[in-house]
Amino acid sequence: MSWPNKPKGGPGLFFLCCLLLALITLVFVGGNLFIIIFRGLQSLPASIRQAETLFAVGLSVRSACISTLLCFLLALPTAWLLTRPGLPLRGVAEVILELTMSLPYIVLGLSLLILFSSPFGKSLKAAGFPVVFSRNGIILAQLMVNLPFAIKLCVTALRGVDDKLEKVAGLLGASPGRRFFTVLLPCCRNALISAVILVWARALGEFGATLMLVGVTRMKTETLPGSIFLNVSTNDLNAALASAFILLLLTAVSLGVDALFRHLGKGQSRYG
Amino acid sequence: MAEREELLRFENFGLTRGAFQLRDISFTLCREEVLCFLGKTGAGKTLLLESAAGFYSPDTGRVLYQGTEVSAIPLHRRNIGYLYQDYSLFPKMTVRANIGYGLRMQRRSREEIRARVREMAEWFEIGHILDQHPGTLSGGEQQRVALARALITRPSLLLLDEPFSALDPRTGRKISDKLTELRKELHCAVIFVTHNFREAEELSERIGILAGGKLCGVVPKEELYSSEWPPEAAALLGIEEKT
Repeated sequence: MSWPNKPKGGPGLFFLCCLLLALITLVFVGGNLFIIIFRGLQSLPASIRQAETLFAVGLSVRSACISTLLCFLLALPTAWLLTRPGLPLRGVAEVILELTMSLPYIVLGLSLLILFSSPFGKSLKAAGFPVVFSRNGIILAQLMVNLPFAIKLCVTALRGVDDKLEKVAGLLGASPGRRFFTVLLPCCRNALISAVILVWARALGEFGATLMLVGVTRMKTETLPGSIFLNVSTNDLNAALASAFILLLLTAVSLGVDALFRHLGKGQSRYG
Repeated sequence: MAEREELLRFENFGLTRGAFQLRDISFTLCREEVLCFLGKTGAGKTLLLESAAGFYSPDTGRVLYQGTEVSAIPLHRRNIGYLYQDYSLFPKMTVRANIGYGLRMQRRSREEIRARVREMAEWFEIGHILDQHPGTLSGGEQQRVALARALITRPSLLLLDEPFSALDPRTGRKISDKLTELRKELHCAVIFVTHNFREAEELSERIGILAGGKLCGVVPKEELYSSEWPPEAAALLGIEEKT
């Protein structure tokens, strides 16, 4: 192994200090993974056959998929608007998004609880769309938590596209909508796929806002994080670790898919 | 020369972008005319071209294109071709899709698009690279693709930003000959900016000089060295050294 810019006479004190601290960090962070993988793997065969675990996996995956879809249906047009030059009140919109993003999720859940416990929420329930203590609430909680984050990711992706491409497309006769679909979206496709996967993984692991809005009821609103919480509460550590392992596995698969898309997106280069 | 209809008019145009200012820009361009702006790097050449395309609303004055303020015309209805210095080809599309993009936006039939793309590709001798992506092309090939893409919609005005600066002289000359021929056939007016005197004199009918964001004047190319110029333009032309 060769080190870049290796000093003559061996590594210096600063390098050794950084190496030591990096090793401690990796052991500290990686230790968590180690515990979840090895303890979770031991508990998995027994837990995976339980209806409760399967219910939690199904509910988590389903709600994460729906909330991610809704999230990007709202985030993409918002992000597009935020990247338009000369947009009035852009600063205000950005402050709102930043503030929401920096709030603890349990606070977001609290505000959702107040909103959907109001006459508005009650009329929604009467119309057949209950939110509080219902599975719809899980999707809404995930949506609320992830939306500002998704908008930020979309804004970054859209800003990464050279604005000259849009100008040229416009002069070639493309309306704003067609510029968006034919030039902007294809150019930031990989960044958007990464964003979707990241948001989906975050939705899968969302707990704070969901707990506040819908609580955790066995076999009703029990997502994977909720299942971990319930099992730890009842001192069933093995079942909790099995759920944690499944969460880790799903996240790893999503990261793998992301890496695959990045790999497929390479090429089309004269020198690459 | 017969009287030609006016296509573009800059009237006391002024624009500030960051710390840079374009000021006191006034000139007209007639249909089918070729006008060149000479200037050093940082003189405001690209900003002038972008202003002609109507990308910015002016701080002072106005830019009239076919009698209408250009920035008030929706971008997709201006019928202006633009060639950026880096060509700005759509990276995710093949050369064929890049060239045919404008016709697709005009909702032309598939057969017409195919035929006109082939015709344009033959003209610019790029038929062999139609299925490649821009990232796999040389600079000269990219430039020909960008020109074909800009000209296929038969624009009334073509704006070229340092079109031959990144090419070797032989390729540049070959492409400029092609461009001149095709421009005449399409009856298209051209504004191009460059810092290359030879290109300016060979390709244009009139030449303007930009210095520090100010237009020092526009003269017929034959009068470039005999006209009265302010000191900054004279310095660019090297007139002081000659006399």
